[in-house]
Amino acid sequence: MKLIFEYEESISGHVPDASNDDFSNGEVQDFLADLPRDLIRKELPLPNVSEVDVIRHYSNMSRKNFGVDFGFYPLGSCTMKYNPKINEDIARLEGFMQLHPLSHQSCIQGSLQMMWKLEEYFKKITGMDAFSLQPAAGSQGELLGVMIAKAYYKEKKEKRTKIIIPDSAHGTNPATAAMCKFETITVKSDSRGNMDINEFKELLKDDIALVMLTNPNTLGLFEEKVLEISDLAHRNGTLMYCDGANMNALLGITRPSDQGFDLIHLNLHKTFSTPHGGGGPGAGALGVKTHLSDYLPLPRVVRDDKNFAFDYGARKSVGMIRYCYGNFGMLVRAYAYISSWGTDLRRISEHAILNANYLCSLLKEDFELPYNRRCAHEFVLSSRKLGQKSALNIAKRLMDFGFHPPTIYFPLIVPEALMIEPTETESKETLDEFAAALRKIANELKENPGFVKGAPYTRSVQRLDEVIAARRPNLRWNANTGLDGEKGKKIAGIDEREDWRQK
Amino acid sequence: MNYIPVTENDKKDMLKQIGVKSVDELLADLKPQIHENTNLGLSKPMSELELLEHMKRLSEKNNLMKYFIGAGSYNHYVPAAVNHLLMRGEFLTGYTPYQAEMNQGTLQAMYEFQSFICLLTGMDIANASMYDGSTALAEAVLLSTSYNRRNGVFVKNGLNPQYKEVLKTYCEGADLEIVNEINENTACVVAQNPDYYGNLENLQYLSDKAHRAGALFVTCVVEPTSLAIVQPPGYYGADIAVGEGQSFGIPINFGGPYLGFLGVKAFLLKKIPGRIAGMTTDSIGRKGFVLTFQAREQHIRRERATSNITTNVELMAIASTIYMALMGRTGLKKVAKLCYSGAHLLQRKLAKMGFALLNDKPFYNEFLVRAPSGSSENVLSNLLKEGILGGLHLDHDNILICCTEMNSLQDIASYASIIKETILSK
Repeated sequence: MKLIFEYEESISGHVPDASNDDFSNGEVQDFLADLPRDLIRKELPLPNVSEVDVIRHYSNMSRKNFGVDFGFYPLGSCTMKYNPKINEDIARLEGFMQLHPLSHQSCIQGSLQMMWKLEEYFKKITGMDAFSLQPAAGSQGELLGVMIAKAYYKEKKEKRTKIIIPDSAHGTNPATAAMCKFETITVKSDSRGNMDINEFKELLKDDIALVMLTNPNTLGLFEEKVLEISDLAHRNGTLMYCDGANMNALLGITRPSDQGFDLIHLNLHKTFSTPHGGGGPGAGALGVKTHLSDYLPLPRVVRDDKNFAFDYGARKSVGMIRYCYGNFGMLVRAYAYISSWGTDLRRISEHAILNANYLCSLLKEDFELPYNRRCAHEFVLSSRKLGQKSALNIAKRLMDFGFHPPTIYFPLIVPEALMIEPTETESKETLDEFAAALRKIANELKENPGFVKGAPYTRSVQRLDEVIAARRPNLRWNANTGLDGEKGKKIAGIDEREDWRQK
Repeated sequence: MNYIPVTENDKKDMLKQIGVKSVDELLADLKPQIHENTNLGLSKPMSELELLEHMKRLSEKNNLMKYFIGAGSYNHYVPAAVNHLLMRGEFLTGYTPYQAEMNQGTLQAMYEFQSFICLLTGMDIANASMYDGSTALAEAVLLSTSYNRRNGVFVKNGLNPQYKEVLKTYCEGADLEIVNEINENTACVVAQNPDYYGNLENLQYLSDKAHRAGALFVTCVVEPTSLAIVQPPGYYGADIAVGEGQSFGIPINFGGPYLGFLGVKAFLLKKIPGRIAGMTTDSIGRKGFVLTFQAREQHIRRERATSNITTNVELMAIASTIYMALMGRTGLKKVAKLCYSGAHLLQRKLAKMGFALLNDKPFYNEFLVRAPSGSSENVLSNLLKEGILGGLHLDHDNILICCTEMNSLQDIASYASIIKETILSK
């Protein structure tokens, strides 16, 4: 389909507020004339497209997409569960959506109450003592957590420059550490998929600021020695950070505080079902134990007998990490989700674990299960026996069966990894169908591998060339014909011969 | 409420297939940590009806006003078509398009968004979004320091104070220093335009100064409707243009989710944080889109990534793309003119009533005033009584006022008449 920039010039659908046309004559015209010439824009190279064409353009574009609303989406580590429709309506209630963030305190009591209660919910769920709802995503919550650790040691005048992560860690963990100038030390996993405790003990020196663990880890396995790890870390004066990406396995069963963690971020777009929107917005609340609560960003939500308020008291806060108070619209959805579950919250995790173990049991004979243990809410298979690039080929072929592929080639320690997270919102029927499709593809790979390598066949495009995309970058619309101002302009400065992915 | 489709019978079959008697058996690895109080002290589950009523009551505890306030959140009209398209499950319920063939819709929308940002700002390349304007700015500063390995950050006066707070937080984390002069250790010079007080400036002089010192020039546009009528950052020498896209089709939403954008000159391509969509072809030569230059990103490069950003705000980027497509060149210019004209009309009315005008440069849709004889607080509280949030009360008794196309001529007239009464009754 064409780009929005390729439509012929038409009548723009939206000229706002016709009643204000008075502005364009008389006294107001003079105002614009006052604007100095060197400030006035000469060309605005945007298209004018009619409203009906805009609607058709984006409706048709959307049809080339796949979401949870259309089928099974077992993308491991992403918790693609059903997003309740009522939460969309709730987030759009006028009183929430049209509220200016700098309104007077008396005008924002509903929002403050919601935020205060959501923090309480998170405290109960995680066992932490205080929360900040400000981080805009999980990785920003992580960044905030590492900043807090840095401020904490600075205050204590301890020079700790390193962070321990297991080799199964999400890429964000080392990337976040680097943003705060920490060095990461990677500990390998043992034969049961846990962080190797002996290697850990050797590496745990007095310059270790933080241990960052995901629990259950990215192999979908509970860290069996987490209590021992926490204990060793604490005795070393080291803080324990929980990457809460996999919280969907723990609700009402165990709390990260019970495992000895001092900090945790929650991904609200995973565990708490706010829709992921093709890549966000997410929200990433950060919870901490009491000894770190003074470092949380400002403002904090507080209450007295009658009212809720924002508290800007200085304490030892690391400062703000985002404009205003976080992705409020996502907080509303998460709050609604938790409220709807209430005391039944544990059922979410029980069923997430049940579904994962069931699906795993259907597939472990046809694929390799690198760590033969019961899994948590997700599991990782290896398709190594089916040849090189088999995970990629399986992923692409799954599309033809109407399923979104699992996460592939992650965690990095499993060759030809297929990381499968079914979530609790899938029926047994769906899981059976998915397992049947995977088995069929495994068979196809043995009998007619060439065919599988050409997949997918039923999407709007066949397999796309990522190498060409990087070698000859085309990252924006360039009009060779069409709008003024941009004619034939090339993106200068990009070396087209270089494939820097090879570096 | 219950979003779990597995029946009791299914559950029995599933447990049998797994080879256990109960779900508890699956939790054996967790035994030492199992939490006793399984209901977590939460309240009882709510039905959809109960939930809706509860949330309505909460939302009604907020009081909406007629807003004459901006300061980073701008109350613009969002055409109905934007929300209708966003609510489509195809856009709403997909993940980041790691599997390109599955989500060509999101990827094409990214590509169009990147194009719109480039066209608006005059930059060569843009990414597919950042969390918001404040973090886009912080990341632009990190980008600068990783490009030229310097650690000083010079910030021109007039940056939104919240943005400055966020920048300070990021700088503290990354061992960078906010400095008072531009010299050979300055990584970048940061300037907001229009600035926090609405002032517009041709920043070429500052760009030249930055470049002479070997620093990058970073501009921040928090009210991007201004770009429809004023010269874009690319015109006055910006190397990086970041900003907040909330004005383009995103409700004010009590501060989020919003839309950070980040555009750069081509030489900085490999330093950009976040997702980028690129056009390519499929195996039979058809046009398509993929996430590209992923070797910059955390899931590939880990501790050597350009940033830790993962989830961005893709849906908001799609909202703004649809908004820009709907408004078009003509509609955006009209919005900008209405914002500009409304603010200037109100400023003139206030001047006539003895307000001090504190903008010493041309301004866009925000301006700074001080009410006569220390009455600023009184003025604002009388407006509030009439359901008008009349501006942001700043230090020195100054008021920062904002107009958008949502403030009609009639609104501006009643604003002025309330003030007239306040001053007369004194």
